[in-house]
Amino acid sequence: MGKHSRFNRREFLGAMAAAGGGMLAAGLVRPGEIRAAKPSGKPVKIGHQCVLSGVLGGYGQFMQMGATLAAEEINAAGGILGRPLEFEFRDSQVKPAVAVKNARYFVDKYGADFHAGIDSSGVALAVGKIMPQLKKILMVTHGATEKYNEQLVYKEGNKYLFRISVPVYQDGIASAMIAKDFPVKRWANIGPKYEYGYTSWQMFKDTLKKFRPDVEFVEESWAPFGTTDFGPHISKVMAANPEGIFTTEWAGEAVALVKQAKLFGVFGKIKEWVNPMGGAMDVLEGLGKDYPEGLWVSSRYWFLYPPTNINESFVQRFHKRWGRYPHYSSETSYSAYWALKQASELAGSTETEKVIKALEGMTMISPAGRRWFRKEDHQAVYEVPWGRTKADPKYPFRILGDLRAVPAELYYRHPPFDA
Amino acid sequence: MFEQLLFQGLVGLSLAMYLWLVSAGLTLIFGVLGVLNFAHGSLYMLGAYFGYSAVRVLGVSFWVGLAVAPLLVALVGGFIERFFIRRVYHIDVAYQLLLTFAFILIFADLVKWYWGPIYQSAPVPAGLSGALPILGRPFPVYNLFVMALGPLAALGLWLLLEKTWWGRTVRAAAGDREMAGAIGVNVPQLFTGVFMFGSWLGAVGGALGIPIRTVSPGMAEDYIIQAFAVAVIGGLGNLKGAFIGSVLIGLVNAYGHLYAPVFELAFMYILMAAILILRPQGIFGTSQ
Amino acid sequence: MRALQWILGLGLAIVLLGVPLTGERFYVYLAIQILVLSLFATGFNLLFGYTGLLSFGHAAFYASGAYATGLLLMHARLSLLPSVLGGALFAAALGLVVGFFCVRRTRIYFSMLTLAFGMMVYALAFDWRSVTGGDDGLIGIPRSPLWLPGLGALQMTALSAYYYFVLVMTAAGVWLVRRVVYSPFGLVLQGIRENENRASFAGIPVRRYRLAAFVTSCLISGLAGAMVAPLENTVAPTAAHWTKSAEPVLATLLGGIHSFAGPLVGALLFYLLQELIEQVTEYWLLWFGVVLLALVLGFRGGVVGYFQHHVLPALRRRLS
Repeated sequence: MGKHSRFNRREFLGAMAAAGGGMLAAGLVRPGEIRAAKPSGKPVKIGHQCVLSGVLGGYGQFMQMGATLAAEEINAAGGILGRPLEFEFRDSQVKPAVAVKNARYFVDKYGADFHAGIDSSGVALAVGKIMPQLKKILMVTHGATEKYNEQLVYKEGNKYLFRISVPVYQDGIASAMIAKDFPVKRWANIGPKYEYGYTSWQMFKDTLKKFRPDVEFVEESWAPFGTTDFGPHISKVMAANPEGIFTTEWAGEAVALVKQAKLFGVFGKIKEWVNPMGGAMDVLEGLGKDYPEGLWVSSRYWFLYPPTNINESFVQRFHKRWGRYPHYSSETSYSAYWALKQASELAGSTETEKVIKALEGMTMISPAGRRWFRKEDHQAVYEVPWGRTKADPKYPFRILGDLRAVPAELYYRHPPFDA
Repeated sequence: MFEQLLFQGLVGLSLAMYLWLVSAGLTLIFGVLGVLNFAHGSLYMLGAYFGYSAVRVLGVSFWVGLAVAPLLVALVGGFIERFFIRRVYHIDVAYQLLLTFAFILIFADLVKWYWGPIYQSAPVPAGLSGALPILGRPFPVYNLFVMALGPLAALGLWLLLEKTWWGRTVRAAAGDREMAGAIGVNVPQLFTGVFMFGSWLGAVGGALGIPIRTVSPGMAEDYIIQAFAVAVIGGLGNLKGAFIGSVLIGLVNAYGHLYAPVFELAFMYILMAAILILRPQGIFGTSQ
Repeated sequence: MRALQWILGLGLAIVLLGVPLTGERFYVYLAIQILVLSLFATGFNLLFGYTGLLSFGHAAFYASGAYATGLLLMHARLSLLPSVLGGALFAAALGLVVGFFCVRRTRIYFSMLTLAFGMMVYALAFDWRSVTGGDDGLIGIPRSPLWLPGLGALQMTALSAYYYFVLVMTAAGVWLVRRVVYSPFGLVLQGIRENENRASFAGIPVRRYRLAAFVTSCLISGLAGAMVAPLENTVAPTAAHWTKSAEPVLATLLGGIHSFAGPLVGALLFYLLQELIEQVTEYWLLWFGVVLLALVLGFRGGVVGYFQHHVLPALRRRLS
């Protein structure tokens, strides 16, 4: 049971019943299975950490929603190997020192069988490095640095680390593959002033140059974490007369940037605006009707893609449970728990070594579509859509129109990850 | 090229005026009460949240929210001063800092508990969503509005403190607490009033920001350090200095992006340290 | 009374030595963190409680010690002790430079100046990516073996082994501060705290004494940070942020500013309080703030102060 969610026991039990019904409808579970359900025995525990305070506190809450729903459904379907699933959330506060302490708490004190979560790339790397000391699996559900799978897993052979969410390839490479078809020759960047911002812009430039040697990168401006006033950045970049702007600002900063850019008349002047995290639920909802239409955005999962039964049913159940549409962090956390269940049952045990073997190469069907974990770097591969922001009468926020999905094999980097 | 420089300067000035509006209350409170109020960041945040709720939840216009929210925050400020800060006037400055710091922690969680941890955003009010062509490029009306409010507030404060009876009494009490009390001024009540006024100012800054910024439980921590920097650079307690200090920081911020973006994060702190080392009384302060 | 002190001291030594024997790896980890914070707070309080200077930027020295040690372990491939000592010395050197400017001011100006310098170090740690790793920080710092003459290389991979190392280093650091505080130098510092003018009229070079206290304080804080680098195997810029600077302040206040044991007791209480609150509710900031409020309004001597002024006299009355 999540000690740090505000969601109480009664809600949990009631929801379990609803979850059972929901899964019947989704065809995920045969009627007989539910009746035989009631999990018993030593619980399987997942320790989950994310940002629960400060300016990014909402992202932790998105993870809690997805995790809670997954646990309720898993327990309604008989648990993991017949045992009940329990989980606990802790606040990483975006501080590697705190995150390392939390990871140790989960494994040494809480008795976690698995560790999931993590929003920040720096934290993912710091915690990733100590997982071999703790000898448990870490399933990252957000932190996107490519150093996690390329360096830690592939080059250093750290087999305890997995990631279910798409890495920065989506932000830096897939974006360029969409942008290569635009009639834009002059690109500029407004990015967050830390690794994620630098890496995604570099990947974007390198990839785009391969397809379009004629493009120029005319300006860049870097906003430190916590910037609320983007005026100086917008002004600096627009002075170089770009035709297209690429930005990897996300969460609240993306909302502030778009609002302010709109006031500065940016969208009337440039031809294209590309924001890989601009399609995240919090940004779509935060901007509402203030989000200009026609901007190219994406997200690590978007609730209307793919249009499969599994996804639609998930979105319905999620909306019924929480009164909102699932954020990508909710879907990745939800799927992470189902992945761990699937792998444990494949392995017939929750022992780390056996589950690692089961996860390698494993394919799962999740709301985000078909996902499989690469053996070489433990990174999950799945398709993520790009689209133009578009008004839709059904929703109070913009949706993604003109959907395009770049096939994962084309934009994911592959071992040996050189060049 | 020259137009670009000028335009960037205007952007810096609108940043500066916003910073001034947010920090004026902090400076006033320090100048009169001698308290460096960490909680000013929280009161700023409450102004933003109350304004946001007025617009998003109650559905009133941004202008109504801007008028009403700061009044509520002034009440909160009065409560804090009357029941907590008043107890620590006579003890070491360190304890005053720690007391007001406690409020940052408390308010951060109260806000998170009531409004949730997810950042929120309100729509841009219709009257402020346009742009005027300046130097050949669109300059937001919103920024012009803030740039106008800044000097207006400065003028208003000056008039209040120099020309009204209340203002003169406040200045007297700031200069010599005991003497003011001796001649019959109800100093504790006056101080509460000043604290409420300073809180009101900070909250106006907060509510003013919601059209273009997001509100989140973590926003107090970010802004309070900037407000401290402004207060220090201008000379702690000196309103004229705070105004100039804001302009300095705003311009350094705007031009720094153009010329030396590598050091950008450290600019404000370097300036702060330089003033403290070379001229601690600030730009306009008198040496003690 | 002496007997009581001896009994308490012995009990404390037994508890400290016995922590790893409990077999609870997480508690050993927490115990190491508590030791580090107690050293950090003791160093901080040399400046605050004894010299009267409230620093809001001490995390900068803690972090500098951590970064320097991390770099020495990762790139210079030194063994544990020289790396840790190197980190502490680097922090002291930084303290000399920063302190030179800071001790020119007092009271709120001093505090604001230390805040400014502290955040400058934070900005540097964030932006100087080639050296510090930027916001990712230093990743994968090895917990190198402790090489002692005659004993060779002692492996530190087991947390229990590292615990004893930290225990010895903390004890050494605390002992050093105690020597300083109870020396004539320490008395002069307190005199300066009480009345700067009188001290300077008596011919004491006030600024030089303050600088010496500042540098010593930074050495100790840097040592604390240096020991954290191999423990967590990572150092990030957040270690230099002003919110980290608040930790020794809060711990010292909790324990008691005006006693030597205050910071030590306070560090333990700080961690206990934090863990306790976090296990019960996610709103730990709120409760921390409430505790801080109560401390400032009613218990300015902290727990130790309360013990000394209320509990001990009551006990004495009972016993006599």
